[in-house]
Amino acid sequence: MTGLAIVVLLSLGRHPATGRPRRNPDDARALATALALAATRSGSRVLAVHAGDPRAPVLRDYLGQGLDELTVLDMPSGSDPLPSLREHLVALSPDLLLTGQRAENGEASGLLPYLLAEALGMTLVPGVVGLDLQGDQGRFTQALPRGRRRQIEARLPLAATIPAGTAGLPLPSFAAARRGRIVSLPALASPDPHLVAIERQPWRQLPRPQPRRLKGSAIDRLKSMTGGGEAKGRLLVDPDPETAAAQILDRLGEIGLIRASHQSVTSRDTDGRTER
Amino acid sequence: MSRPRLDPRALRLARQVEGGGKRPRFALKADPPALHSRRRDPRLLRMRALVPGARRPRYDWKRDAASGAPSAVPAVDPVPANEPIRVESPAFWVLAVLDQSTGALDETDLQLLSVARRLAGDEGGVVALALADPVLATAGADRLAVWPASAVDPAAAEARAATVQALVESVKPRHVLCSDDPVAGGDIARRLAAKAGLRLVSAVNSLTADGRIGRRAGDETWLQPAPALMTIMPGSFAADEQALREARPLELPPIAFEAARLANIGLLPVDPESLPLDETDFIASAGNGVTDFAAFAEAAAALGATRAGSRVVCDAGLLPRDRQVGASGTVVTARCYLALGIAGAPQHLQGITGVRHVIAVNTDLHAEMIKRADLSIIADAQAVMPALARLARQRQEKP
Ligand SMILES: Cc1cc2nc3c(=O)[nH]c(=O)nc-3n(C[C@H](O)[C@H](O)[C@H](O)COP(=O)(O)OP(=O)(O)OC[C@H]3O[C@@H](n4cnc5c(N)ncnc54)[C@H](O)[C@@H]3O)c2cc1C
Ligand SMILES: Nc1ncnc2c1ncn2[C@@H]1O[C@H](COP(=O)(O)O)[C@@H](O)[C@H]1O
Repeated sequence: MTGLAIVVLLSLGRHPATGRPRRNPDDARALATALALAATRSGSRVLAVHAGDPRAPVLRDYLGQGLDELTVLDMPSGSDPLPSLREHLVALSPDLLLTGQRAENGEASGLLPYLLAEALGMTLVPGVVGLDLQGDQGRFTQALPRGRRRQIEARLPLAATIPAGTAGLPLPSFAAARRGRIVSLPALASPDPHLVAIERQPWRQLPRPQPRRLKGSAIDRLKSMTGGGEAKGRLLVDPDPETAAAQILDRLGEIGLIRASHQSVTSRDTDGRTER
Repeated sequence: MSRPRLDPRALRLARQVEGGGKRPRFALKADPPALHSRRRDPRLLRMRALVPGARRPRYDWKRDAASGAPSAVPAVDPVPANEPIRVESPAFWVLAVLDQSTGALDETDLQLLSVARRLAGDEGGVVALALADPVLATAGADRLAVWPASAVDPAAAEARAATVQALVESVKPRHVLCSDDPVAGGDIARRLAAKAGLRLVSAVNSLTADGRIGRRAGDETWLQPAPALMTIMPGSFAADEQALREARPLELPPIAFEAARLANIGLLPVDPESLPLDETDFIASAGNGVTDFAAFAEAAAALGATRAGSRVVCDAGLLPRDRQVGASGTVVTARCYLALGIAGAPQHLQGITGVRHVIAVNTDLHAEMIKRADLSIIADAQAVMPALARLARQRQEKP
C-alpha cells in the first residue's frame, strides 16, 4: 500500500448562538477523519489548508487535534478563497480531498468542494460519515436523512464532504496546539463579486409558516392527496388483540414503514454513537 | 274595501322557480321587501344569487343583489372545479427538482412545489422533475418531467445533475429549485452549479412580497432578487393548498452523460434504538397505560420502531430521559407515532405536532390522543403489544 496525499480544508467556524469564533464542526470532523485514515496507511500525508488570516486563534484548535502543520493562504477575511485554493490544490494534486459539508461564515453555500472537485477532476461523494480504502477503491458510508446510511463505492482521486454528525467534536490537546506549525503563504485576494447586490438586515426568527388555504372542497383535495382518505380517523372499539394488531400493521404497511430489512437489524453504528 | 283581491293561483305561478327538477319549487319571498330595510336577510340574498336554469342550485354572489336582476354579464358556466388550470406558453418557467426520498411526495417536496408556485405567480408555469405521481397535479405542477431510468439509482447523483442540466438547457427556466438536503437535492444543485457555472443561493428561507428571497447568514438576513438556482430550507415554507393543474408529461431532451463514477452498494441496516428521537422515522411510545415493558420492548423491536415514552414513564426511570417526547423532552418529526397508553397531555402533544401519522392504543375513548390519531384502537395495550409483536414477526417470515 502506497501512502496517500490527503488534503483537508479548514475554515473558521462561528457559534450559531453566540457568534463566537470556533472550529467549524464539519471541518473538525473532516480533519479527524483525515488523521485517522493517514494513521492506517503508512507514508500518507495530511495537508491541511486554510484560506484566510493566519493569525486567527481558532486555527490553533485544529492543530490541537494532532495536526503537525497547517498551510494558510494569507488573505483578508471576506475575500473569495476559490482562486487561490484551486491554484494551490492543483499543484498538490491530492488523492483525497476532505472538506466540511458547509462553512459557517459568509456565503456558506457548500459549493466550494464541488467547484474544487470539478477543477481537479475528482469524483465527489457528499455526506460521508465513514470511509474505507482498499487500494484505490474507496467505500463510503453516506448519512441520509432520518438516520439511514447508504454505502457507495468509487475510485480515487476522490473528494468527500463530511457532516459534523451528532457526536461531539474531537477535543483539542493544548500540547499539540503549541507544537503544530502554521505556514503562511501569500495569496491573491479577490473580492467576492456576487456578494455586492445583497441587502443585509439583522436576522430575526420568522414566524412559523402557515399554509395558504384555497376556498372550496379541501376535503376532496385531501382525499386525493392521501389516496382515498376514507381510512383516516378510524376508530376501533374493543377489538380483539389480533384484529387490533393486524389493523396497526396494515396501516404501517400503507405508510411504508414496515420493510423486510428489519429482520436483520444489526447494531451497526457508523457515527460513533454509543449503543444503548 | 279598496284592497284588490288576491288571486292565489296567479301568485303561486309567479313564485314558481324555474329548474326545480321533477317537483315544482316555489320561492315564497318572491316580492322583495323594501330595499332599505336595515336587516340583512340571508335567505333573500341567497335567492337573488340563485342562477336560474341550472340543474343543481348554483349561486352567483356577484349578481347585483340590490336590483335582484342578473348582472350584465350573462352567467356563463364557470370552469368546473375538477377541471385543471391549463398553462400553454407562460411568460417563464420555474423548475422544481423533487427528492421524493420516501418514494412518494413528502412534506419537503410539497413545500418546494409551493415555493415554485409562488415564484411562478399567475404568468409563470411550474415544471416538476420527479418520479411520476398522480398527486403532482394537485400539488401545483403544470408540467411533469419524469427522471430517466439511469437517474433513479440512489448513487446516480451525476446522472441526476446531468438530467437537470439538460432540462435547464431545453426549458430555460427562470428559476431552478432544489431541496437543501446535502445528499439529495442539495447535491444535485451543487453539481449543476459547478458544471454549468451557475451561482447557487442555498438554504433560502423566505420570500418577500416584492419577490426577493431571503436566507440566514450568521446573525443577518441576506435579501436579494430570486436567483437562477437555489435550494430551499425545509420547514421554512408551508405546503400551500394548490388548485388542480395539468401535470402534463414533458419529454426529456437527450442527456449527455459519461459513465457513472459512483456505484451504489446499498442501505446499511440501522438499529432503530441507536437513533436519536428527532432523527428516527418511526416511534413506538409508551405512556402510563403501559405496565408490561418487556412486551413493549419486544413489540418495538419486532416493528423496527425506536422506543420512546411520555414524561411519566421517563420520570419513573422506565426509559432514559433522552427518550422523552414532548415539550420538555424531544420534539419529534417521525413519519409515524404509535402511542400506547398515552393520554395526550398538551405538553406531550406539543412534541408530536410535526408527525403526520399517529396510531393510538388507549382504554379511554375520550383521551386527547385518540382525537389526534388517525387510527385509534380502544383496547388494553398489554394485550395488543404481544399480539403486535407476534404478528409482525409472522409477516416478516412469510414473504
Ligand atoms: C411543565 C410541564 C412539562 C411537561 N412536559 C412533558 C413532556 O415533555 N412530555 C410528556 O409526555 N409529558 C410532559 N408533561 C406531563 C404531562 O402533563 C402529562 O402528565 C403526561 O404527559 C402524562 O403522561 P401519560 O399520558 O403517559 O400518563 P397519564 O396521563 O396517566 O395517561 C395514561 C393513559 O393511559 C391510558 N391507559 C391506562 N391503562 C391502559 C391500558 N391498560 N391500556 C391502554 N391504555 C391505558 C389511560 O386511559 C390514559 O389515557 C409536562 C408537564 C408539565 C407541567
Ligand atoms: N476560507 C476557507 N479556507 C479553507 N477551506 C474552506 C474555506 N472556506 C470554505 N472551506 C471549506 O469548504 C467547505 C464548504 O464551504 P462553503 O462552500 O463556503 O460552504 C467548508 O466546510 C470548508 O471545508
